[in-house]
Amino acid sequence: MLKDSDVQKILDVAMSTTADFAEVFQEETRSKSVSLLNSKVIRAGTNFSSGTGIRLLAGTNCVYVYSNDNDIDVLLSLAKEASHAIKGVSKGELAELQALCHSSATDVVIDPMNIPKSDTVDFLRKASDYAIAYNGLITQVAAGCTANDRLARVTNSRGLNKEDYTSRIRLSIEAIATKGKEKQTGRVAPGTMRGYEFINEYPVIEKTAECCETAMRMVNAGYAPSGKMSVVLGNGFGGVIFHEACGHALEATSVGIKNSYFTDKLGEKIASDVVSARDNAKIKGEWGSYETDDEGNESSDLLLIENGVLKNYLVDELGSRRMNCKPTGCSRRESYSYAPTSRMSNTYICNGNSDPKDIIANTEYGLYCSQMGGGSVDTSTGDFNFAANEAFMIRDGKIAEPVRGATLIGKGQEILKNIDMVGNDLECAAGMCGSQSGSVPVTVGQPTIRVSSILVGGRDAE
Amino acid sequence: MELKKAEEFMSKLIAEAAKYGFEECEAFYADDITMSVEILEGQVSSYEQSTSQGVSFRGFKNGQMGYCSTSLFTDDAVKFMLESASENCDVLNDEDREFIYCDENNKELYFSQLSDAYDKNTYYRFKELGLELEKEILALDPRIKAVDYLSIDCARGPILIMNSKGLHSYRDTDGVSIYAGCRAEDSDGSIKSGGHYWVGNDIDKFDMEGFLKKLSGNILGKMGARSCASGSYSTVFTNEAFMQFMSAFIGNTFATAMQKGLSLLADREGEKIASECFTLKDVPMFETALNKIPFDDEGVLTTEKAIIDHGVFATALYNLKSANKAGRASTGNGFKSGSHIGVSPTNLLVVPGEKSFDELCAQAGEGIIITDLSGLHAGVNAISGDFSLLCEGYLIENGKKGRPVEQITAAGNFYEIIKNIIEVGSDIINIPAGQGEFFTPSVLVNGVNISGES
Repeated sequence: MLKDSDVQKILDVAMSTTADFAEVFQEETRSKSVSLLNSKVIRAGTNFSSGTGIRLLAGTNCVYVYSNDNDIDVLLSLAKEASHAIKGVSKGELAELQALCHSSATDVVIDPMNIPKSDTVDFLRKASDYAIAYNGLITQVAAGCTANDRLARVTNSRGLNKEDYTSRIRLSIEAIATKGKEKQTGRVAPGTMRGYEFINEYPVIEKTAECCETAMRMVNAGYAPSGKMSVVLGNGFGGVIFHEACGHALEATSVGIKNSYFTDKLGEKIASDVVSARDNAKIKGEWGSYETDDEGNESSDLLLIENGVLKNYLVDELGSRRMNCKPTGCSRRESYSYAPTSRMSNTYICNGNSDPKDIIANTEYGLYCSQMGGGSVDTSTGDFNFAANEAFMIRDGKIAEPVRGATLIGKGQEILKNIDMVGNDLECAAGMCGSQSGSVPVTVGQPTIRVSSILVGGRDAE
Repeated sequence: MELKKAEEFMSKLIAEAAKYGFEECEAFYADDITMSVEILEGQVSSYEQSTSQGVSFRGFKNGQMGYCSTSLFTDDAVKFMLESASENCDVLNDEDREFIYCDENNKELYFSQLSDAYDKNTYYRFKELGLELEKEILALDPRIKAVDYLSIDCARGPILIMNSKGLHSYRDTDGVSIYAGCRAEDSDGSIKSGGHYWVGNDIDKFDMEGFLKKLSGNILGKMGARSCASGSYSTVFTNEAFMQFMSAFIGNTFATAMQKGLSLLADREGEKIASECFTLKDVPMFETALNKIPFDDEGVLTTEKAIIDHGVFATALYNLKSANKAGRASTGNGFKSGSHIGVSPTNLLVVPGEKSFDELCAQAGEGIIITDLSGLHAGVNAISGDFSLLCEGYLIENGKKGRPVEQITAAGNFYEIIKNIIEVGSDIINIPAGQGEFFTPSVLVNGVNISGES
């Protein structure tokens, strides 16, 4: 990390023309990973990287320069170029740097970076060996673990001087079942900001068995039907639909330029009465958490929707200028090579009052998606698409046969209004979210919910 | 960083490696220099400039290849890399051998294709062009309300590989790209979004008129779209949609996927898997390619080859490791995938046919045109080939493009689709993909399941 005096020099140069704000973001990351295929260790890697990003703002005009050459002369030269490119009207104020403050949302007992890779290999081998021996239908199993830590320091022309440390581990176990030409997978991929104790406590055999069961069920399943129907979305990763179809449309990245169907809707009813939702970056040890955001603001526990009414947007510094409101501590970036922008952290639909069993029992005919895959959304039109990794038909209020190949499509703004039952079994699940400022760790979550009508794109007509 | 300094660091890394027990080793350096200008509401909203370099090391020890990478070029970094790579070798037990390679006749490989036009890529040039383009887009039609994203980017970067067997390989490339995404609103308040891109290596060759025409079609043509009846349709995949579709499944032709049991094409080289009219080639030095690739990241010379030749699966793509396992030679498709060496195509080409896009529609008679596919990262089972994807497009009525459709899914299986191609068009386009570009025309496919209104 640069000395305070060097950072001050960069800020001096950056603010020497017409910027009203300048920021120096420094980052150091370390990562180590191993992956096994059918119990053989086929990959083991280690990485160290560091770099610096310098951002200048003049109103909503932004200049961003970055380099992984941390030589002060290189950075001063970049700051100079940036100061010539910024288009403000007058010279902004520059405060002296405050004393450095540290923060961290990690909850680490055993530092994963100090664990020998051989220990991780032994752990992953338990999953791999168990899955291969589980059933003749299981033909491949991939298991991997990545640990990384990141020290990010944000300094700016207002004198802010903060350093935030995060340490994360993510595990993945994937079993593949084969039947003739058909191959289907069952997968778990938990992530945490806790230490290696998370791995030591993880019920690896139980979870591996679940992966095998899912893969075997899906390889034996028929195709999902096509058409509009009631869909019950299981808890945990089912929340990916809310994340994509609603969360992204609440980010200043799209709201700030009026490219969101939720623009100018604060205080309005955007979802059914049973829907409340939060974006909470303050949950200690959770995969998507952080204490200080990538602009140096304290993170927040933000109420997004309360009983169907839109309460807050996710706003970063640039968005706050476009929207004339305060930032909400949600500015994030994958690394120094991205300018930060408004992003989600741990985003979930809050618990409701229904028992998940009653939700199924009250559904005469429909689809139950017990495990969702990925999807995407166009925030200007609301068009979304999601794939179900594991799904079952619901017939006469009971879970019936498994089906595969189901994709759910619709409009985000409509689906929120069609949520008619919310369960009381909230769970969160780890994921990676890709957007303008790169790929960042997030959790998605929800209790079991029912959507009265979604178009299911399957292959079989019913 | 100057290339010379990187070379010094790499030489030191290679020289020190023997002390850590590495029998063979290689250092890989990549430099990325980029610039980007974004335009929003008549102003430059963002200007980015960057330089980033990195070195990755791989070393062979006790029968295993250990990797490590860093962006630091210090003596401490040498120690860190060699210790880490050594630790990685200790835990690996891969049965398939990876190679450090050098062809005695091709120890020095050099290919520079930096364009003289690159110097035209200045902030001011990008700004002027961007502002003009935004203005022209907004003037296309009153229904176009905003240009939400307009970006002009350029990048250049050398790759240098040196190994303990004497390989010294250098190649570089550069390019410039433009993307504009806009939003239109119909009189009933319904909103559609659409975009278009351009890639090249000379900003002066950007054809504004052609770009605007295509963008206009991409967004205004969709206005008033609605779902259509479910059923099995004769389907024209536009060149862009077919490129997206093929990209989701191209990994099945990689020997690495086959050997891991993750491709249904394993052991099927020589077998007919697609329609007679379908030929897919890997063409490293394709005449109009922006990035020509005479050798891969393992120092192996590349060659032109048909992957699927008139429907017959002619060859998989191999790197040195997968070729050794299969008992054959590499096809020169060993490229970095993250930090490790994987398999990648160079420039892909679907060999075009004779018919124009309109003639494909005429041949379909009644059917559907698919212009966009969404959710390709989620709605496909790349191994089994099953897919179910949100798509947009147009009906084909009386052999002509009809009304726009949306909120439909196309579902089926990749292997069935390539068998059911009945005509390949002539309207070839290029889109950046893999190490280079994907060149493909539109295709007509029989019987694709569409889910829409009941």
